[in-house]
Amino acid sequence: MREKKSKQLGTLLFLIIAGGLCLPVAASPQFHPKDTEWPSYGADLAGTRYRSLDQINASNFNDLEIAWRIKTDNFGDRPEYKLEGTPLMVNGVLYATAGSRRAVIALDPASGELLWIHGEHEGKRGAAAPRQLSGRGLAYWSDGREERIFYVTPGFRLVCLDAKTGVRIPSFGDNGEVDLKLNDDQDIFPDLTTGEIGIQSAPVVAKDTVIIGAAFREGMTPKSMRNNKGYVRGFDVRTGKRLWIFHTIPKKSEFGYDTWDKGSAEYTGNTGVWTQITVDEQLGLVYLPVESPTSDFYGGHRPGNNLFGETLVCVDLKTGERKWHFQLVHHPLWDMDISSAPILADITIDGKPVKAVAQPSKQGFLYVFDRVTGKPIWPIPERPVEVGNVPGEWYSHTQPIPTKPPAYSRNGVSIDDLIDFTPALRERAKEIASKYHLGPVFTPPTVSKLEGPLGTLTMGTASGGTNWPGGSYDPETHNVYVYACNSCIEPAGLVAAPKEVSDIAYIAGTAGREVEILHGPGENAGADSPRPPKKPAGGGFTRMDIDGLPLVKPPYGTITAINLDKGEFVWQIAHGETPDVVRNSAILKGMNIPRTGQTTYNVGTLVTKTLVIAGEGNITTTADHPRGAMLRAYDKMTGNEVGAVYMPAPQTGSPMTYMVNGKQYIVVAVSGGPYSGEYIAYTLPSTGE
Amino acid sequence: MNARNSIQQEGDDDVNAKSPVAILVLAVIASPLCLLRAQAPAAESRSVWDGVYTEEQAKRGESVYRKECAACHGDLLAGAESAPPLTGGAFLANWNGLTIGDLFDRIRKTMPQSAPGRLTRQQNADILAFMLSVNKFPAGKTELYRQSEMLKEIRFEAAKPAPKK
Repeated sequence: MREKKSKQLGTLLFLIIAGGLCLPVAASPQFHPKDTEWPSYGADLAGTRYRSLDQINASNFNDLEIAWRIKTDNFGDRPEYKLEGTPLMVNGVLYATAGSRRAVIALDPASGELLWIHGEHEGKRGAAAPRQLSGRGLAYWSDGREERIFYVTPGFRLVCLDAKTGVRIPSFGDNGEVDLKLNDDQDIFPDLTTGEIGIQSAPVVAKDTVIIGAAFREGMTPKSMRNNKGYVRGFDVRTGKRLWIFHTIPKKSEFGYDTWDKGSAEYTGNTGVWTQITVDEQLGLVYLPVESPTSDFYGGHRPGNNLFGETLVCVDLKTGERKWHFQLVHHPLWDMDISSAPILADITIDGKPVKAVAQPSKQGFLYVFDRVTGKPIWPIPERPVEVGNVPGEWYSHTQPIPTKPPAYSRNGVSIDDLIDFTPALRERAKEIASKYHLGPVFTPPTVSKLEGPLGTLTMGTASGGTNWPGGSYDPETHNVYVYACNSCIEPAGLVAAPKEVSDIAYIAGTAGREVEILHGPGENAGADSPRPPKKPAGGGFTRMDIDGLPLVKPPYGTITAINLDKGEFVWQIAHGETPDVVRNSAILKGMNIPRTGQTTYNVGTLVTKTLVIAGEGNITTTADHPRGAMLRAYDKMTGNEVGAVYMPAPQTGSPMTYMVNGKQYIVVAVSGGPYSGEYIAYTLPSTGE
Repeated sequence: MNARNSIQQEGDDDVNAKSPVAILVLAVIASPLCLLRAQAPAAESRSVWDGVYTEEQAKRGESVYRKECAACHGDLLAGAESAPPLTGGAFLANWNGLTIGDLFDRIRKTMPQSAPGRLTRQQNADILAFMLSVNKFPAGKTELYRQSEMLKEIRFEAAKPAPKK
């Protein structure tokens, strides 16, 4: 972190030097055709988000202009404000999911012209879906003649389209679709229309198999300890026939069943794979990042380590059979879903080539394994962790903690992490923190009490560190580039759940707000009806900032370059303009505060031949630009910023890139706040026309 | 600050931007207060720091929030993977400099996700009051309006303004 200041200052210097140097332009290198395309969600099945393109580079990034843009408002019956897709570009066509309908659109990648659109009207089934809106994307398959597009609707149906026309391919499944609520080794309850299961991530197609995970509603305050289970399945790309299934909660007699005491594997649900799946086609291995079991913060109804909750599982591409697994968190209590794609990396350890898999995480650890054997590249020993005292909870007394690389974002809260621009601010932050239990990573939640603690103050849990956008990997430098929120504080407190609300003993909540039975307006409001007790609204809530200033000190969000041959940081920078509240703060006037980065958890990165590119997740208004956010480019070797272009809203879907007709494009999804979803394509100005 | 008085001042400020209905409403409210206005200093528009909702309204909003919103945005409004937080840095930054009316319309038109537009304006205003209370913007003596046009007169400011002299 100490490096950061000099890097920031260095940016300006670098720009001045670069401007005078006339950097040599790469002389049209021989690209493998695929290097100019973006054929799957993460650029490739290894989840690298890497393309070796260099037309857009440090010398011209600031010159980027908008080639085309497409608002997604009309791809659904209402606008969408949370556009998270990353498009594909294959064989001269750009494909994306878009809008509140989760429509599939095909565009001309140079002009943005709409070529076709496909939407499924799912009625009640769509409206009841746990994961709605446009989702993250889709998958492409071709045997060289036929081209197919696969996506999953909000109502959990796998649909197969002709990539040329957007029309369903009737020979796939049942007239072009497979109902994913069926044939799942469980009866989805209560019924097919409202049964809770869905997915928002992009399907993965590897060889001739399309792989689909599952997602559920948020699990902070579940209504029941029972839920549907999130199994993973492989289907034949031609016929839609189910080829295999992997039980993320083992069935009786299967390996891992005994990690669920008191028969809890029978009724516990969730434990899906809601984020991107990664595949090594050559090895024929699939890497499954599994989420938390039912009930994120209280596990008293699922005693035991709970395999394969929060476990990286490697299965066979042909059979779905488990090859190896590593549980990142035993008996999950922190909502540390494995939230992003595992990254495949061919690295060099002690002079020897190693096929590795690197897993970014909410908790800021990059877990690195030999992807054939599952053996950690650097030791990940079991360490003693705090055991809590929530009634009925079952605790793991140890957790695996990587020795290398070091955590790349905060994963606990200590007094030293609190804001320290001035001693007075630190004192006020300490006052807020004093109402909570503090501790390092894996400090468990507490029962929330008005007299304290209100809960455990955590970071690197539900929203912290790296979430669904994941990281990037550069096969040239063997560096992982990963964004992390370094200030996403989550109070983890528990309150007893009344029987009408949940059959779980404790749900997430805060004391002083006893869970009330809901009253309609006017009910109990007539004369002589009992007066409600005087209690301030929002009692027990504590705003996690001080007059708008974040409770913790900067950097609020970072991008870290981690070299996988060494397990060490190459650089770490604050990503994102200093928030307006900090820049314009009267208290901080006259202080020299280096760029802080921003409090946001959904920033994805793109790496090219020379650059790491990522947009900002927050809105700012500065002297240099109107209300909006910047798409920034960094020198991938040094982390120095080399350029930035304006976006009207924050980046909400990770950027991708491709070449068409000799020009490189960068497409990014923006939305948020009052700005509805839009894909924007940037390219360099045309010359000599 | 007298709420009614301040509405009238703001309404006067950029009356051009208002719909005819709003202008009419404002004119009716404004007319008996002309004298007052003439004596008032230059119009000082209101922000979320000026007590724009009541405790009672926030409590009503809390009930609705818990039923309609908490499943995705969380009991503590901290958000999660599927829904953004309604408190904290990103939330405050995204709405900073806009108006409560912008936020109100966003909620009204797009939430709850499973059935947008199902809630009444009153319920939406109550939810908004609850969100303001959780974000520790001070409560006041008058309830948040149900009319978008009037809510557009209340600025969303993430940071507490310096005390007025």
